[in-house]
Amino acid sequence: MDDNRRTNIKVVFITIQVVLVFVFLIFFGRLIQLQVLNYDKYTPISERNSIRQEVVNPARGLIIDRNGNLLVSNEPSFTITITPMDFNMESIPLLANITGLEIDEVEERVMTARRYSRFRTSRLFTDVSFEVFSNIQENIWQLPGIGHEVEGKRSYPSGARLAHAMGYLAEVTREELQNSDRYRLGDRIGRSGLERSYEPFLRGQSGNRLITVDARGQALGPFDGGFQDLNPERGTDVFTTIDADLQKLAEKLLVGKSGGVVALDPNTGGILAIASAPDFEIERLSGRLDRSYWADVNSNPDRPLFNRSVSSVQPPGSTLKPIMGLIGLETGIITPETRVYCSGGYQRGRFYRCLRVHGHQTVAQAIETSCNTFFYALIDQLVNRFGLNKWAEMLRSFGIGEMNGIDIPGENRGLVPDSSWYDRNFGVRRWGLGDLISLGIGQGAMGSSPLQMAVSTAALVNGGYRVEPHIVSSLRYEDGSTEFFPRERQRIPWFNRDHLASIHTGMRRSITETNSGNYFANVRDVEIAGKTGTAQNPHGQNHGWFISYAPADDPQVVIAVLLEGAGYGSVSAAPLASLMFEQYFLGEIRRNHILDHVLNFTPAPFNPN
Amino acid sequence: MKWYQRFDWIIFLSWLGLSLIGLVAIYSATQGPMHADTFIAGNFIRQVIHVGLGVLLIVLIQLTAPQSFQNIAYLLYVACLFISVLTIFFGIEVGGERNWLNIGGFRLQISEFMKTATVLALAAYLTSNRNTTARDFKTIFMIGFFITLPVGLITLMGDTGTSLIYIAIVPIILFWSGLPYGISLLIIAPALLAYFSVVNWVVALVLAIIIPILIYALERKPILTFFSFATCLLVVIGIQVMLMEVLQPHQKARVEAFLDPESYRLDAGWNVIQAKTAIASGGITGKGFMQGTQTQLRFLPEQQTDFIFCVVSEEFGFIGAGLLLFLFFVLLSRMLYLAVTHKHPFAQITIAGFLAVFIIHVIINLGMAMALLPVIGIPLPLISYGGSSFLSFSIMIGIVLNFYMHERTFSIYAS
Repeated sequence: MDDNRRTNIKVVFITIQVVLVFVFLIFFGRLIQLQVLNYDKYTPISERNSIRQEVVNPARGLIIDRNGNLLVSNEPSFTITITPMDFNMESIPLLANITGLEIDEVEERVMTARRYSRFRTSRLFTDVSFEVFSNIQENIWQLPGIGHEVEGKRSYPSGARLAHAMGYLAEVTREELQNSDRYRLGDRIGRSGLERSYEPFLRGQSGNRLITVDARGQALGPFDGGFQDLNPERGTDVFTTIDADLQKLAEKLLVGKSGGVVALDPNTGGILAIASAPDFEIERLSGRLDRSYWADVNSNPDRPLFNRSVSSVQPPGSTLKPIMGLIGLETGIITPETRVYCSGGYQRGRFYRCLRVHGHQTVAQAIETSCNTFFYALIDQLVNRFGLNKWAEMLRSFGIGEMNGIDIPGENRGLVPDSSWYDRNFGVRRWGLGDLISLGIGQGAMGSSPLQMAVSTAALVNGGYRVEPHIVSSLRYEDGSTEFFPRERQRIPWFNRDHLASIHTGMRRSITETNSGNYFANVRDVEIAGKTGTAQNPHGQNHGWFISYAPADDPQVVIAVLLEGAGYGSVSAAPLASLMFEQYFLGEIRRNHILDHVLNFTPAPFNPN
Repeated sequence: MKWYQRFDWIIFLSWLGLSLIGLVAIYSATQGPMHADTFIAGNFIRQVIHVGLGVLLIVLIQLTAPQSFQNIAYLLYVACLFISVLTIFFGIEVGGERNWLNIGGFRLQISEFMKTATVLALAAYLTSNRNTTARDFKTIFMIGFFITLPVGLITLMGDTGTSLIYIAIVPIILFWSGLPYGISLLIIAPALLAYFSVVNWVVALVLAIIIPILIYALERKPILTFFSFATCLLVVIGIQVMLMEVLQPHQKARVEAFLDPESYRLDAGWNVIQAKTAIASGGITGKGFMQGTQTQLRFLPEQQTDFIFCVVSEEFGFIGAGLLLFLFFVLLSRMLYLAVTHKHPFAQITIAGFLAVFIIHVIINLGMAMALLPVIGIPLPLISYGGSSFLSFSIMIGIVLNFYMHERTFSIYAS
């Protein structure tokens, strides 16, 4: 038996030893697999586990008007947060009571947060009023697990609406997140206006805070003593050329109308006021997104998001006549003394009507009385002797039919047709003089925006310089340094100052004499010069135009107004501009009857005939 | 020979090394800033006392005669059973398990000591029979009886993990005491099949065919072969039914989390993922003592007990964890060698039984920590925090040392 047992026990020994070696080889192998081969895979997991990176949002830059008034600033937005694990469900009725919400809704929100994570803190109510916020703070001892965060949101302390010029913010889209590493989910980004075009400056640089957390996600304190934290860099402040008072008035006068106003300094191109109507309440789009309001604004048939001051393109109508006159003088077709006889219209293939019989007219008189015949004859000569393209080129050098480079998005190029345009749209040799005559009075296949009319008027009064229209004058960086943006003024090469006198005279007299603009636009103590216009609208009531500047002998302000569907520019657009001059130069509005007229203005009923 | 020449330094030093690694790991797992002012913070100092007690016990055991263990084996066994019954009625309930008995401030976990007592009783029975082979049915039945009592009581305490250990002792003891290879294979077959049924039931089915063929090759008994084939199939089917019908939801979740931790990352898979992350992020050299983020920030549940291996791996890397594995390998191999070379059958079977207990603990605990096995709450011998567990394993080591030291005098009594 013993011998048998010896061999037996030897087999047992070897079997178990082999099993032992095998088991430990598996363990060693697994250890190598995990610690050596998978080290790179699990190390980041372990780091993510224990270090939470919190982004510290920078304060967005301020936007300031020319007199130092705050146009756009930041105000705290209070967000109530919840850590579901610490939260007591029995305090839901109290929460509902404080916030004024239904118990069901509060419960729903709590459950949503709970589903997201029991341990992590999530937003429960965003952007609550200060009253609700302080009420919750008062009862915080009864509300375990409830906390708060203070975030920033835009505010507009000046009282000016500035909807289109400043623009609204919206959360970044998934696409933008993928294309840029500057943003993270939930960040808001400028979507229109200055907020969009100066986004890289206004935004600032977000900071980073590394926090050590435990397995339940609770913060234990700064990681590495905060040495690796990155402080946020606040956004750059933007100084603008806007005049808050003038802007407010422009907005007020535009209420209930549809159109755009641009007021600028003709010497620099700095924009004093820029408004478009209908507009929207920028404040309601600047905080957490108000979905129903957004849907309202976005689908409104009146298109309140459309910035008419730079985007709306309409035939300039008679407001083109001053420039037409200058072109005539420059090309030598007319001299200041050249008289054209107006018999109530112009015969060229067919009869082009004038408003009435004006008799003999010089260019100054033709501008003053807005005589069509004079300009029909002028363009007839012009295209015959110099060609359509010469006209288009000269007009474009004023900024009509070209981009002017304003620093907010949405600018429309407008339309000044040349021969290739006609070839493209009418067919080669399928167009002729008959299609061009009405261009002489700013009608037909051309269009410009209020901004372009303001820029071209500025050139007309500043001695022939095409200015770069702009809203921003300088930036003030976080470190206190200021950067000015020098703006280019481009001398219009063919422009001859000697020819200006009669144009200016015509424009001044159109306000002072018993003409179209007289009653509504003549302001005592402010020498306004201007030209009204009415753009034919095949779809409805005509559009009213007005271009103007003041004071007449030393122009400081140019204002261009377009009121869509408002009928004659003389009764709609002109009084609006004159009130703005009054405000700007006199600091107050003295002609209250004109103010009432503009505020309560309703265009004459549309008559298709 | 001087005592120190008869003292097995290999076993003692591996015991000491493992206990010290355990102390270091427990210190790291309980003394970090996150644990200040919690009851866990006291674990380290208590474990120091346990190790001190362990040294004392080992020394005391060396002073006793080896045959006294044979004499009191049944008494110890019955005493432990009695205390188990007491625990069931008067124990402290922690997390659904009632396996602690409070004796004057010391929380006695009798199921740990029961392991030692059961092995001693089994060895005593097999030796007293003067028939250390297990070829007859009566012996197998008695072994089953000795095991069933503690397993039943411990299951009543709610500690299913520990009862698993006892069941695993059986095949090793039987194999040791001369059970035919084929039948030994049949006995461990269910465990193998159960594991593979959970992981991959196709492999399990293939094994269910291969094992009977092997058994036939070893034993050449058609009836046994057929019986084994039926058993194997039953196990595979039974496990599938159990997975779907019998298991409690939380147990089911553990099994599913083991198979696919990513899908259960916040529930049962949490442990598996965090344990793997802790081990793997340790790399070759580790993050350094008290520098393991997974450990210090308590991402690891039960890190001073069941998942202590992860603490060692994270903070001391492959070097530390490898040393730990190496020490265990040395300890177990040495125990195996002593079991085989010892001349007294009682000592042989006792050491083999202790070896079985150690092996099963090490395999299940390390397998669980390294995500090779589902999560089962079993301590890592000598490393995990826990007085009863540590002292029980130390007593085993003490007895093994005692058998070796007194081998010549003890062997006189051997046949």
